[in-house]
Order: sequence, then structure tokens, then C-alpha cells
Amino acid sequence: MEVTAVRSVSGLLGDHVDGLLDRTPPLRAPHHGASPAALLGGGSGVARPGEVSLAHHGVLFLDELLEWPRSTLDALRQPLEEGVVRVSRSRATVVYPARFLLIAASNPCPCGGGQRCGCSDDAISAYRARLSGALADRIDLAPRMLPLSAADLLSSASAESSAAVAARVAAARAVAADRGGALNAIAPAALLRRTATREAVRTLAVAVEAGRLTGRGYDRALRVARTCADLAGADTVDREQVLEAIGHRGALAAPGAGAV
Amino acid sequence: MSAVDEVVVRRAVRLAASGVTPERLQRIIARLLEEGADASPRQVIDALERNLRSGARLCGPVATEAALALLERAGARVLVPGSPGYCARLEVLWPELGAPLWLFVQPALAQAAPLPCGPAVAVVGTRQPSLDGLRTARELGGLLAQRGVVVVSGMARGIDQAAHRGALEAGGVTVAVLGAGFGVDYPRGDAALRDAIRGSGGLVSEVLPGTRPRPQGFLQRNRIISGLADVCVVVEGRTRSGTLRTAGMAAAQGRDVFAVPGSLHQPTAQAPLALIRDGARCLTRYEDVLELLPAATQPAAAVPSLDPAPAAVPGPPLQGLPAVVRALVGSMPATAGEVAGATGRPLPEVLAALSQLEERGSVRSTPRGYVGTGS
Repeated sequence: MEVTAVRSVSGLLGDHVDGLLDRTPPLRAPHHGASPAALLGGGSGVARPGEVSLAHHGVLFLDELLEWPRSTLDALRQPLEEGVVRVSRSRATVVYPARFLLIAASNPCPCGGGQRCGCSDDAISAYRARLSGALADRIDLAPRMLPLSAADLLSSASAESSAAVAARVAAARAVAADRGGALNAIAPAALLRRTATREAVRTLAVAVEAGRLTGRGYDRALRVARTCADLAGADTVDREQVLEAIGHRGALAAPGAGAV
Repeated sequence: MSAVDEVVVRRAVRLAASGVTPERLQRIIARLLEEGADASPRQVIDALERNLRSGARLCGPVATEAALALLERAGARVLVPGSPGYCARLEVLWPELGAPLWLFVQPALAQAAPLPCGPAVAVVGTRQPSLDGLRTARELGGLLAQRGVVVVSGMARGIDQAAHRGALEAGGVTVAVLGAGFGVDYPRGDAALRDAIRGSGGLVSEVLPGTRPRPQGFLQRNRIISGLADVCVVVEGRTRSGTLRTAGMAAAQGRDVFAVPGSLHQPTAQAPLALIRDGARCLTRYEDVLELLPAATQPAAAVPSLDPAPAAVPGPPLQGLPAVVRALVGSMPATAGEVAGATGRPLPEVLAALSQLEERGSVRSTPRGYVGTGS
């Protein structure tokens, strides 16, 4: 309903779905040349919803994340945190819903990486620093990907089908919803902490002390750990899942990456 | 210094102030040798002066005075072939093997001490080393310094600096040949290390104080590094690197070249492996280097031993998957996915293991992936 409402405001409904609710979650993938107004909402007169709102209840995919202007990226912090975006114009302030799943991709270094990469560590650190610490904090999973070799592309021995993964995810979401009536991303932190063992909480605290997590990272790692436990079919969050959750931030935890 | 030396020094500084590069020096020497001259330092100076004067590029007395004043303010001493401090090992390389026509050294105080005296080893390598390479350079620098061997390198980030630091930590003597002039903060932000080396064996530069580094200058600088040493050790480097050029220069100068072997898959092992293939000595233990040096190496008895690598967080011995993962993660950055593939275990377990190892300080997450810390 909200999704359709947002689309209606932005004139994206078109004629053919007249009056019908479209049940496919949105996927928005703006280019890194997009203006802040296009991303967040704006325009003259009545501020129109931006990409973040069009991706409400869906996925916002930012390719080449580090090529986006830093100020634009930092403006994503509010919607990521609150699920809404406030667009202020001279006449009025409009609040649009913007609860999206942020998926981003980036090259590992300025040259694009690969076996022949000759970038210095300084150059890589400088490149990574384009992602502010504040935004990096709000990214939960950051795997390093390897380039696919020709053999990988030809190989048909794929590990797990997308359908099987989707079934596992749906089951985990159901478990999470049963627990708190909300997904782990937005469930009350206290509720999640009650399901964590003392050892798990201590591991989080050690990571914060060692500078591997920030205060905000602590909360988010706990939520990821809860999800890891749900996927594994575990009732409690153990140290194992917390360690996994911290490990999921791998590429962001590197020294110098986003540490400004 | 005799009056004759005084005149030679003045003429050399005048040539430096006129912008004579090492490349130009070598061209002139080559031409003189072709013409059948013996290319003595004096002949070379004469030829360079003639050459520059014809193009009206030889600077006048005012500029020469300014350059001399610059050197004096920098507290630098000028060495020319034949002057007391000029290293004998370099001197025998004159004319065609890359001995410089002038060298500026800091500090100027040690008027009598030739630079460096006694056995010396050049430790060189890439600016982008692996943790393994850094450890090798630091330990080798420390061991050599303990045995009274002067450690010569180029002050570059990475292997060079690790070798200098190792020597300094062991309380030994180390010399840095700079790519820039004195007073230029290059490599940037490493002034503390430069000061420490100046207080140890000293700093050497072939360009006037205040001269910015230039790419060709580093290649030229390398011939002085190898020339000052008896033996050259290549710790890590890539193909087509300055490191490889230094090793080639060292071999041409008649220096024994050691290469530290590494994995086929490690980009920084490319240069050492290529050198070994082409006849360099393979370093199998640090003592190999000592055995090739002139006898002056003292026993290490009286010298305190080098600190071991930074202590690991004490913890129970590793078991299970973390122990397997620890053994897999070495100096080559690995992603969690690669480790999972190698162990055949699910990614969540591998991530947890890596995270646990990181908590212990046994692996580190670098911009390129996880690497082992050696503890």
C-alpha cells in the first residue's frame, strides 16, 4: 500500500496498473551521477519522493558506491537509521517513507583490483576513506568478492540454488517475526539482547574495546548475530554467532577503511 | 682537506648546481672511455664543464656559492672520489660501474670516518611488502647490525624502512641513501626515522639539499645503495621493479646478490624467484649472508638480542577450525570465501573462526584481505 502510494505521488503508476496494488518489492538502482534531490527527494513545488522512497520496502542498489559524492552518501544516514526521509523546502517539509535494504558494490581499489593490481596501500586506504565511518557503521555485511575465473563461469556445480536460499531466508524471517513481531533489523534491542548468552555479549564488548566495532556497530552486530542464529535454527545467540557477525563486516573492518 | 680537494669539491658542486644528472655523468664517462681516455674524475669534470659551457648551461660563481651555502646550512659534507671519506668500495667502481662524482652526506661531523667502513650489506625490496617480508627485513637488519655489519638501504617505505628499523632496534649502524635532497620530507612523514638514521650511520644523497625526488633519481640512487655494500639482499619485489634493477646493478658491480625465496603465488616473490632462477644466491637462513662477508663480523655475544615479533594476546592454544584457518592464512591476503573454499567448511563457521583469530591478534584484516601476523 505504502509502496503504491509513493509511486502514485511520483507519477510512476502508469495506466495499466490503475487501481491495482503491485506486490513486487521495488528495486531501484540509480547511477552514481544522480543528484542528491534525485536520490533523497526534492524538486520544485511539492517535493517529490527520491530513489530512497521509491525503494521503500524494497532494495536500493548503489553500484560503484565509492564513486558517489560523499555528501550524498552521508545523507543516506537518516533514512537508513529512521526509515523515513525528511525533505525540507521553502514551503513545507515533507516526510516520505524510506525503509529500504541498501545493497552496494564497489571495486576493492582505484584500479579495479585483480591479480595485477599495483595500487599502494595508501592509495587503497584513501579510496576506502571515501566511505565515511558513519555510513560504514550502518553496513552490516561486507564480503570481499573474488573475480570469477573462466572456469568458475563454466562450472555448473553451483553450491545452493537461489530457491533453496530463499526458503531458508523465509524460514528465518518467520522465526524472527514470531519472536518480536518485527524483523531483527527493527526489533527492540532489549528483546534481542535477552536471547544472547553472556559470553556473546562479552565478545561484542571486547570487539568495541579493541576498536573493531563502534557503539552503533555493537547494536547492529547483535542484530546480525541474531539473524545468523535464526538461520542456524538456534534459540540463543552464542559467541559463535557474534564472531560470525563481526566477521561479516570483514572488508569494512580493515584499518584505514572508512576510519576518518 | 687539501687545497686540491677543495678545488675539486667546488667544481663538483658547480656541476651539481648546473643540473648535471647521474645519467648525464654516465653518458660523458662512456664517451670518454670510447675515445680511449681513462676517464679519471678530473677528466670527467673537465669534459662536463666543456660540454655545459658550450650550451651556456654551466652556472656562474654566484649559483655555485649559493649551492655551497645550501650544503653548509644543511650540515652536509661533500665527498668526491679520492677524498678521505669516499667509500673505498665505491671508489673501485669508478669510472664505468656507477660510482658517483659527488656525494652529499649528513652528518658532516665525522670528518675522518669513511662511509661506511667495515662490512656492509644492502637490504632492499618493495614498497608494498607482505607482513612476512617486513619481518624478514627487520630481523635480517637486526641480526646484521648485531654482528657489526652496516645495513645500507634506501629509506623507502616497506622493506627498506623495516631493514633500517631492525638495525636501529639492535643498536647497530645503518646508512640510508636518499632519493631526494636533504631537507625534503620524503618519504613524507618519516622524519623521525630519518633523524635516527642520521644519528646512526648517516644519510647520503646525490642531489643538492632541497631537491625534490624524481622517478629516474630512485633508479640512480639504487646504484649507490648496492655500491656501498659488499652484499645485496633482495627481500621482496615484483617483476619490472626498481628492486630488480638494483639487484642487476649489484651483480654488475660484482656484489653477491641474495634473494629471499617466496611462494609462486605471491606477487612480491616474483623478483626474488626470478633472481634465483638467474643465478642469485637463495637465502635459506640469515647466517648465509654473514658467511660471505669479510672477517670483521664480531660474535653476537655482548649484544642484547632482538625483540621478538610483537607478543600475541595470550590465550589457550588454538583448536579445531580456528587452528586450521590460522595455518592457512599466511602473508598473502586471503578472503573469507577463499579460506572457506580451502577448508571445505561453511562460510559462517569460517567467518567466526577468522573473527576469533582477529580477536586474538593472530590474523589481521587488511584492505586486501586477511593475513597472518606471525603470532
